[in-house]
Amino acid sequence: MAHQPAHSESGNGEHHTHGAGRYWIVWVLLICFTLLTWYTGSHHPNIFLALAIAVTKASLVVLFFMHMTEAPGANRLVFSVSLVFTAVMMIGVFGDLLTRNPMSLPTGSVPSEIHASEGHAP
Amino acid sequence: MSSSDGAHANPHLAHHFDSIEKQDYAVRLGMWLFLGTEVLLFAGLFLGYTVYRHFYYEAFHEASRHLDLWAGTVNTVVLITSSLSVALAYHAIKQNKSKQCAGLLIFTIICAIAFLCIKGIEYHHKFQEGALPGAHYHYAEVTAPGANLFYTIYFLTTGLHALHVIVGMSILIWVLARVLKGEFSSSHYVPVELGGLYWHLVDLVWIFLYPLLYLI
Repeated sequence: MAHQPAHSESGNGEHHTHGAGRYWIVWVLLICFTLLTWYTGSHHPNIFLALAIAVTKASLVVLFFMHMTEAPGANRLVFSVSLVFTAVMMIGVFGDLLTRNPMSLPTGSVPSEIHASEGHAP
Repeated sequence: MSSSDGAHANPHLAHHFDSIEKQDYAVRLGMWLFLGTEVLLFAGLFLGYTVYRHFYYEAFHEASRHLDLWAGTVNTVVLITSSLSVALAYHAIKQNKSKQCAGLLIFTIICAIAFLCIKGIEYHHKFQEGALPGAHYHYAEVTAPGANLFYTIYFLTTGLHALHVIVGMSILIWVLARVLKGEFSSSHYVPVELGGLYWHLVDLVWIFLYPLLYLI
């Protein structure tokens, strides 16, 4: 594999310089995704689609606005670990919610059918 | 700061670091660690939301429809735009454009104030309607069991987020004051970068709050 000489010497903290155009492109994408989540959410609410869009938007912010693409490995690691721990907590909680005995549900609760479609009848 | 031996040529270098590169590396790493703890703080609230939404699915849907979607959407655009301006401010200071950086920071701070004003108007409407958290809930239009839990979580998450907006705005005002004093340049801009990182986190949290509260 040939090395790219232009980028080979940097890497320790010092950021590459790039034009401001990248930020504007990310902003346009974020606005488009916001309109998409607003339109789909107000016509056909679907939590999975909404979360997929939110994750995409958040990734754009972290990677480009927060320069995670240029960050050293240690910075990526400490932030990623918080996301992994969040995922662990979520999996644990969903494990509980999906396997609950009906007797242990709070009074008045009408649990969602997580397996069923999330779409709401109008 | 306290050393008077004059050994360090760079006035921004703390005495316990060998070089400005090591100092910058350490403060960036520290900032990302802090941002990780912020993610976990909000993750706990999102978990609470997940559990209660599961138990009171229909009530959450109904209560969500009574939030002001327009206000939430406009605030999303405001925060995303402020994230752009703070990223551009960082870009400007790296190119020694202090005035442009200051202008962009002022625009970001105006966005923060606009966000808080819109949120305040929303809160005011909800207070008037009686959609209050906890035992004070007496909103006549949504009476399903669990609806008050939606509003409790709504006020808890958006309230904590608004507190972050206020803190982030205060940090940006402090950074702006130092930019105006000419303290930052292309060779010393890390405080602008870290203030920007915190502001992006504020945007990041709202990106999830918006669909989970307004569009379910």
